[in-house]
Amino acid sequence: MPIDPSVAGRVYPPQFYEVSREKIREFAEAIGDANPAYVDTAAARGYGHGDVVAPPTFMMIIVMNGFDLLMKDLGIEFARVVHVDQRFTYSRSLSVGTRVEATTRLDGVRAVAGNDLLKIRTEVRDEEDGTDICLSEATLLVRPEDSDGGRRQ
Amino acid sequence: MTERVTEQLAVGDVVADHTYWITRENLVRYAGASGDFNPIHWNERVATSVGLPNVIAHGLLTMGLAGRLLTDWLGDPAAVVEYGVRFARPVVVPDDDIGVAVRVAATVTDVRDDGLVALELTVKVDEQKVLTQARALCRLPADRPPGS
Repeated sequence: MPIDPSVAGRVYPPQFYEVSREKIREFAEAIGDANPAYVDTAAARGYGHGDVVAPPTFMMIIVMNGFDLLMKDLGIEFARVVHVDQRFTYSRSLSVGTRVEATTRLDGVRAVAGNDLLKIRTEVRDEEDGTDICLSEATLLVRPEDSDGGRRQ
Repeated sequence: MTERVTEQLAVGDVVADHTYWITRENLVRYAGASGDFNPIHWNERVATSVGLPNVIAHGLLTMGLAGRLLTDWLGDPAAVVEYGVRFARPVVVPDDDIGVAVRVAATVTDVRDDGLVALELTVKVDEQKVLTQARALCRLPADRPPGS
């Protein structure tokens, strides 16, 4: 069953996330990134940050929480999903201790060759002062429910 | 300020080039750190059942490694102001201790008046692009020119 295009425009309840020192360290280690700005407060201050900051793609952890909500709402299992593209536009750094609020919006649904393409926009803001931190724009491809043998691109 | 640094850069300059290796161990670690436990990234049986040749890397892990090339070059991770990619081809990760080699290079495509530098990343496995339209916009730290 293709996804009903009328679901486009849905906005999901904001998801909250607090950036912790150990999660930044764990994520940086997982991508093998030894940049001191992720673990050493003094090094981060050398770049003008108050404390350690997260790697650019750390933002996906926050964005994914909204994807989970959207998938659940539309009845899509992750095994059918292929990430087509991803773009982050950063307004400021994401430093440790920041509490963020991420709002996920399904911008568009388009059927292409039996699959559905979802355009998803996530706005990540500072929960305290409401300032923009990051805009995430993603496209996900959802394969039909019956195509468990289909080849991923 | 930034003008001095950007003056040294020209369109077409390859500012960084590195080969990263991805092993199965990296995938398990990334799954835990990112919270993305899709089994196609760690379970060969599931990966092949959906038509993949084998277990594949998380797209965001490949994007993260390519991003590392930028932040290694820049120093300040927050100097990346825009970063986007298209996941064009799966990165198949063999079940061995060596893994798969992902070669990343960053080329200057624009040096802007506002001090921002646009870069195009080429991200290849076996000479085939695994990420396409991989582009970033970066702010060069005024007091710490890259490569210094």
